[in-house]
Amino acid sequence: MTVSRRLLAVLIGAWLPVLLVYLWWTASAESTNPYFPPLSVIWTRFLELWVFDQVPVHVVPSLQNLAVGYAIAVVAGVGVGAVLGVSRRTARYVEPVVDFLRSIPAVATVPVFIVIFGLDASMRIAAISVAATWPILIATMQGVRATDPTLLDTAAVFRITGAQQLWRVRLPAAQPIIFSGLQLGLQIAFVVTIASEYLGAGFGIGAFTLIATDSFLILDAWTGVILMGLLGYAINIVFDIVERIALRWYIGQKKLA
Amino acid sequence: MTAEISIRNVSMEFPTPDGVKHVLNDISYDVNQHHFVSIVGPSGVGKTTLLRLLTGLMKPTSGEIQVHGERISGAPKGLAVVLQDYTRSLMPWLTIEKNIALPLRNQKLGKAETRERIESSLEEVGLSGTGGNYPWQMSGGMQQRASIARALAVRPTILVMDEPFASVDAQTRFDLEDLVLKVRADFGITTLMVTHDIDEAVYLSDEIVVLHGRPAGVRDVVVVDIPFPRSQIETRNDQRFTELRTHVYAMVRGLE
Repeated sequence: MTVSRRLLAVLIGAWLPVLLVYLWWTASAESTNPYFPPLSVIWTRFLELWVFDQVPVHVVPSLQNLAVGYAIAVVAGVGVGAVLGVSRRTARYVEPVVDFLRSIPAVATVPVFIVIFGLDASMRIAAISVAATWPILIATMQGVRATDPTLLDTAAVFRITGAQQLWRVRLPAAQPIIFSGLQLGLQIAFVVTIASEYLGAGFGIGAFTLIATDSFLILDAWTGVILMGLLGYAINIVFDIVERIALRWYIGQKKLA
Repeated sequence: MTAEISIRNVSMEFPTPDGVKHVLNDISYDVNQHHFVSIVGPSGVGKTTLLRLLTGLMKPTSGEIQVHGERISGAPKGLAVVLQDYTRSLMPWLTIEKNIALPLRNQKLGKAETRERIESSLEEVGLSGTGGNYPWQMSGGMQQRASIARALAVRPTILVMDEPFASVDAQTRFDLEDLVLKVRADFGITTLMVTHDIDEAVYLSDEIVVLHGRPAGVRDVVVVDIPFPRSQIETRNDQRFTELRTHVYAMVRGLE
């Protein structure tokens, strides 16, 4: 893409958000309603709190939990998904359990983890990783099952079998499907990161926002909500960049096809 | 001459919803070392089934296949393949170099040796300097050359090809046929090729196995007594070439 076309794409994507922020800004400018303070006031408070005074206190612990929980989910989801994808027999025994567990709404499991782990970070990390594992596991299982038989035949004749075949052929071939599971898992992980902080946490973006609301610090609560939105968006952008690098072969191949 | 591959009384049946389908019936044939053998027959006769048996991807219902006198179970050592559908046989997430390196992992070669194998096999097929490309960045003919390079890099004693040139244009096809003749002259690899192109079979082979019937049996083995080296223009105008292709064609069509 040329520079001007990329600029055009950014402009096309940006006009609606810019318009919405503008409408919010002007509509709220004269507001005296304590629940809907002017956006200009929210923004000033946002800068005071989050650039970067309170970042180490609230943002860092949230992102730490998210990173550790998501990393565990990726390893567990891809690992177990790959095994279930290759071994139909194991899958027959395990799949009903997987289907049951993944049907439980992620946020609803938090109280269970509180019972098991108490109220510290390990509870949040456990809830995040369990919730994010399912979409990654399902995508990996399906991707590994769907390997082109011609690729497998080729590998088999060259005596690439067993674990080597899984690692060198099935998993790389399944990358595009696995990445869609990874993206869904990341979104769920972020939701659970925030939600888990609504229960018994003193630190973290979710905890900050909830405590602010309970203390009628509406302005602070608004900055928390905006911060979550911006963080979620930024996390998605980082994911997209990683995906585009990892799937370069797939994107390039599709462009030519 | 010693037999590199022995096919002994091989029969193959598949269970289908309409009952058992009997595809191959009591096939026996010896492939001599350093020979180029083509397997021809009408479409659907079971050529590819026979090839899957030879590569160890399937087990025969009865009979056995031996390589160097030993019954095979699974893919035999020293065997390499080139398949028709190069777009699905080369790994699209690996560059050509890494595609070639993949089967070499099991051979536990050093880094320098691996590199040397990649370079020399790319050179053999006329693809020097293109190893950094992804398969899908190359033309069909080049991808098939890369498949051949991957096969050569394992230093096989047996090369098995399934309709290797069926998906490329006619000019590329002639080039690839001559490449295969050169490879064969350079390395003397015992080669088995399934093809539906009778001209191609006559042009390349020492012997042609004609499959016919349902279930298929060996209808005949035709010895191609045209001397090497062969050339696209002279060999194909040779009177013996015309006789042989007419003979094979008639058998494939069941006219003889």
